[in-house]
Amino acid sequence: MKFSEEELRQIALNAINELGEKASPELVKKIVAKAVDESNSDINFPKSEAKVDFDRAILTSFGLDRPGVVAKITNLLFESNCSLQDISQKIMGDFYTIIMIVDLSSAKYQMKELSEKLQEIANEMNIKIFLQHENIFRQMHRI
Amino acid sequence: MNYEFDEILSTIKMTEIEHFDIRTVTLGISLLDCYDRNLDVAKQKVYDKIYKYGKNHVKYAKEVEDRYGISIANKRISITPISIPFAGLNRYEFIEMAKVLDKVAEDIGIDYLAGFSGLVQKGFTNGDRELIEAIPIALSQTKRICSSINIGTTKSGINMDAVNKVADLVKKTAELTKEQDSIGCAKFVVFMNAVEDNPFVAGAFHGVSEPEVVLNVGISGPGVVLDAIKSAGNVDLQTLSDVIKKTIFKITRAGELIGREVAEKHGIPFGIVDVSLAPTPAKGDSIADILKAMGVEDVGAPGTTAALAMLNDAVKKAGMMASNSVGGLSGAFIPVSEDQGMIAAVQKGNLSLEKLEAMTAVCSVGLDMVAVPGDTPASTIAGIIADEAAIGLINDKTTAVRIIPACGKKVGDVVDYGGLLGLAPIMEVRTISSQGFVGRGGKIPAPTRSLTN
Repeated sequence: MKFSEEELRQIALNAINELGEKASPELVKKIVAKAVDESNSDINFPKSEAKVDFDRAILTSFGLDRPGVVAKITNLLFESNCSLQDISQKIMGDFYTIIMIVDLSSAKYQMKELSEKLQEIANEMNIKIFLQHENIFRQMHRI
Repeated sequence: MNYEFDEILSTIKMTEIEHFDIRTVTLGISLLDCYDRNLDVAKQKVYDKIYKYGKNHVKYAKEVEDRYGISIANKRISITPISIPFAGLNRYEFIEMAKVLDKVAEDIGIDYLAGFSGLVQKGFTNGDRELIEAIPIALSQTKRICSSINIGTTKSGINMDAVNKVADLVKKTAELTKEQDSIGCAKFVVFMNAVEDNPFVAGAFHGVSEPEVVLNVGISGPGVVLDAIKSAGNVDLQTLSDVIKKTIFKITRAGELIGREVAEKHGIPFGIVDVSLAPTPAKGDSIADILKAMGVEDVGAPGTTAALAMLNDAVKKAGMMASNSVGGLSGAFIPVSEDQGMIAAVQKGNLSLEKLEAMTAVCSVGLDMVAVPGDTPASTIAGIIADEAAIGLINDKTTAVRIIPACGKKVGDVVDYGGLLGLAPIMEVRTISSQGFVGRGGKIPAPTRSLTN
């Protein structure tokens, strides 16, 4: 298996963090070499081609418009360390629809947990919230 | 914003309302290196190998489900047709092997493992003969094992001796599992032109030319197609074909994404997407309902075969455009017991076995989950298999028969398995005899179509 420079750096950083004060150039080198060896011992099949470029999700919400809907959702996103990359909102009579593109790359939670937390808000506010990975939309609607 | 509002809504509608799911992610595992002179060693090798590759299968699939919010209905495993690596076993040893496979399937946490199979289109090895004797007992003594026998190909013709043997096998399996409505027969498929990368159980197996281990995915989505056709309204057939293609295109793309991600988690190659419309007993997940939405009053009405042919063709065209890795069976399935609309059509007397046979000529995968009276003679079952195989032979396509001669049941009764296998009304079979023809044995020679070189 080949490692990119980035990956090697990450392994080295992990080693340094773990060693703490004991870290010396020799020790780090040894640990990195061992880590590389270990991942080489796994059987290497040719990897499938799918690549995940980003970790972004699309959040859709709709329901009866009432104050605080956006605040509730964005607050949770903020607490979860997700960043909001785009947002579009429409009000149609008493109803609202919101679509947000959310960057999950540094999120505290996995998709599933985040979904569950959003579901709690949905139940509490009596609205609908869906969170789905962007790849799905990209695959279905972009050639 | 990169995406239109309508696009986002259409995807949410598919996954949240229209039951779009991935029908199966099937891990194919080669057992070609598992033979050993010592049966106990061979059994251990088989267990270890399947366990090693399969132990995380359910977990990985669940992780991908969570990530995309699209459910994967079945997580399954297919293996090399067992009579190939283990041609040296006798029938009792094959039964022991089936129990090992059943155990490993249970330990991994999957519901079905398929590939307790043999390929006898041109003749039997000793292993094939022993396997065929072992299958009824193996199916009656295990829960998770599925079996299949390929009795012909367009290149080699139909092995009628095998057809007769398999008809006996089906009868025997029905008898041995009569306490449970002959459920053994629901786990056994007779194939013509079997494909090597089919991810759909019960007919799945991991062909000999496949890699060491591979992940295939079977997509589904009759509910999505049904809704698209309904909302298209009264349009002409070309426009309707277009509507179906657009829908299938989207679900194939999503299916491939899911399959590739599961393969990536396993660290193994991705194989194929099988773009089949496969129904489930759930309401709205029905091929029959699609045919009715296309305009026939009920399945079995004149025009049904044409509607199904068009549906099947649109599915293929869209699948081919959407993915470079289309394989498996890739067509619409019309199992009777697993489709509410089909069950209703049989119960109302609108759909006969003969009409169903005609329909199988234009779609995958044949007479599937068809229950017939328990006193149907083996020669008649052989005749039914031979007819179905002939359709595959001449049209150079896969056909199959999964027939249940339900012990002690008559026309008007039902067999009810619950779950994914559903409920099968007993269909009427003509009582005129096929014995004189099928009893001749030998082979139906390969047709002129086989000489393509």
